[in-house]
Amino acid sequence: MKLANLLKGIRLPRPPAAAPPVDLPAPEKVYLPLRQHRGAVAEAKVEPGEKVALGQVVGASEAFESATVQATVSGVVEAIVDTVDPAGQKVPAVVIKNDGADAWAEDSTLGESLTDPAGVKGTRPSHLLRRLREAGLVRAQVEGRPLHVDLSPPMAPQSYLYMTGIPVVRPVDTLIISAVDADPPVCPNRSCLGQSIEELSVGVAALARISGAKRVILALPSGSDTASIAAMAGQYEWEVASVSQTAYPFATDNFLVQSLTGREVSTPYGEPKDVGVALQPMISAMDVGKVLMSGRPVIDRIFSVAGEVKNPQTFRVRLGTPISEVLAAAGGGPSRPGKIIVGGPMMGLAIFDPTTPVTRETEGVFVQSAAKVVAYADHPCIHCGRCVAACPVNLIPSELGKLCEFRMYEEAADMDLMNCIECGCCAYVCPARRPMVHFLRHGKTEVLAGRME
Amino acid sequence: MNENLLTVSTSPHILGRMSVRSMYLEYIIALAPALLVGFYYFGFPALITVLLTVASAAVSDFVASKIQKKPTTLGSLHILCMGLMLGMILPPGAPWWLPVIGGALTVFLGISIFGGIGAYPMNPVLVAWVALAISWPEAMNSFLEPQALGSGEEWNEAETLLMQLKGDVSTLEMVEMGVLWLGKVPGYIGSTSTWALLAGGVYLIIRRIIPWQIPIGALLGAIVMALIATYTDPRILELGYEEFAANMNVVWFHLGAGGLMIAAFFLGPEPVSSPVTPWGTFLFGVGIGLMTIIVRTWGGLVDGAFYGVLLMNAANPLLDRIRPRVIGKVVSGA
Repeated sequence: MKLANLLKGIRLPRPPAAAPPVDLPAPEKVYLPLRQHRGAVAEAKVEPGEKVALGQVVGASEAFESATVQATVSGVVEAIVDTVDPAGQKVPAVVIKNDGADAWAEDSTLGESLTDPAGVKGTRPSHLLRRLREAGLVRAQVEGRPLHVDLSPPMAPQSYLYMTGIPVVRPVDTLIISAVDADPPVCPNRSCLGQSIEELSVGVAALARISGAKRVILALPSGSDTASIAAMAGQYEWEVASVSQTAYPFATDNFLVQSLTGREVSTPYGEPKDVGVALQPMISAMDVGKVLMSGRPVIDRIFSVAGEVKNPQTFRVRLGTPISEVLAAAGGGPSRPGKIIVGGPMMGLAIFDPTTPVTRETEGVFVQSAAKVVAYADHPCIHCGRCVAACPVNLIPSELGKLCEFRMYEEAADMDLMNCIECGCCAYVCPARRPMVHFLRHGKTEVLAGRME
Repeated sequence: MNENLLTVSTSPHILGRMSVRSMYLEYIIALAPALLVGFYYFGFPALITVLLTVASAAVSDFVASKIQKKPTTLGSLHILCMGLMLGMILPPGAPWWLPVIGGALTVFLGISIFGGIGAYPMNPVLVAWVALAISWPEAMNSFLEPQALGSGEEWNEAETLLMQLKGDVSTLEMVEMGVLWLGKVPGYIGSTSTWALLAGGVYLIIRRIIPWQIPIGALLGAIVMALIATYTDPRILELGYEEFAANMNVVWFHLGAGGLMIAAFFLGPEPVSSPVTPWGTFLFGVGIGLMTIIVRTWGGLVDGAFYGVLLMNAANPLLDRIRPRVIGKVVSGA
């Protein structure tokens, strides 16, 4: 780890040890939103009353930035209703009533199964990519993109890179598989460490083959038992790097790329692809491996429940299960619930509807009781400079916060407001408890709105 | 209607444990060692002076908040901390009205007139101190000879080492460095004991309440400037130092004497009136160190540390323009 990372950012408390995921029985009903990612809403391919089998396509779209939706229980389609996604937007969803048979559809196979990395190397990248697209995999983060979009080369030169001297289309030469959870208490990756090694090896090999990366780096959390993964990495000549779990936000994508390869990803529009790095979380690689090995779509998701529930735990949940049912399986939340946060406590989104279904873009929830919900204060900035010391991208958050508070958005944009990554370190350390991230997000929205006019 | 309504707000959903109150509480804790040493050597007169300053500041803040029709901010301990710091840079046994006026000036002239915490451009403690030093120079320049607590002797008037240095540089050779750094010398109540101030300052740096750049910069600036002074000042040259260690002794004297330490660790890095950018804070510190020694060696005043802080406070907006490079920012043409 770099010295600068020790001085910048914040130290989070060391998260408790993570147990391997527990299978959660399929629920009575699943709600399958027809958009589980950034991009276009899929069209429903089933009618209410129709019988569906496991893995049968219930939603698909012609659009490139869209992922196929498959049935995750067998049963009868009850209705197509509106639900909310984690970001709070309305999205149509197919409701399927479970008949408990778990019968796979006959045409659910996605080509013959590949059981080892050597087989993957003998397959054309475009074939692999097509199979991932048919399986409808999505990068596990709110507003995440479908995996096939994430792995494809850019369709057109990126306008924000014209001026920088970076070659506009740079071939991907490095693949980073991150087993570190950026927001530690929610730990889907960490709890899967050492699980299903074969799937992981196939998945990583496939991702490397698709992206064209010659160098593969596995970023593993420091202080965890990673012997089995290290052994696997040694077998296939992949590199292993140890990354701290408590130095926040240095496990997020751009910082991982910077500390492992020394390349700097531009903000706010840049992505690791621009500097020749493909980055995927370990659970994505496992899903890829599962799809290729079984030849079937993935119908469940590793879903981590942390915070104030009786038994914080990681589950393997059928997609479409309402989050409230997962919380009940974790022993139930606090008697007076305060917040249910999709993602971790530092960057997650608080949802208003506990029946929001588990989708491909969710990786876990953090639960807070009403007593623990933090109160921001209407206190003036005291100019202490703690946020400046903490800001991992070297902004002056105190100044930006004041400018945004007093509606001087363009002035704030001149002081690099748009380069803020919304990690929340400034708000975390602020002694006056100012809602820093709120100010900065509001300012960014206003700047973009102003520029649209 | 669901009775278990959920809260929705922006991230982050957890906050660190520090509040304004706890920050100033830790500031007061860090001041405590130096203050206790001051009470030990200057006894009852020092205690009275400090208590009067704090009480006057508290009452003034209460009055100021009533005039402005705002809720009082005494609970945040900010005013108490400021009062305490002013008390620490007053001479022990000052006439009773001096700390009372000082406390009121800190609040009215230093803080409230600019709009309270977070808004004032200059260190309010030093604003009040300078007002006192200009208005009542005699009262501000009468010091007591230190004596151990409970010795029960009469208090004798004394001159500080820096005042003696102004008149006669051979003072440098009569000072025992151990005694000086322990604080058993005449001086302001809380600013004599270098070791105690150092301990409190290091605590503040470790707790990330003050940036490390300011004290380090101030000490570096002072060391460099003091070395330059020993090699160029004709009066010191007459003493005929030949070895580097002898010249370095002058540096240790300057670090230990006067208000440099309290300015470097407490008055300069005072959160509101200090700069925030990494290089800005460092230059701020260097400026304090340089000013201190320049005034002591060539200036008309006895000590320059407090004026150095005020001068650098005025340069704050400039210093805050020295920004670090933003990571990820696309630089055109690079």
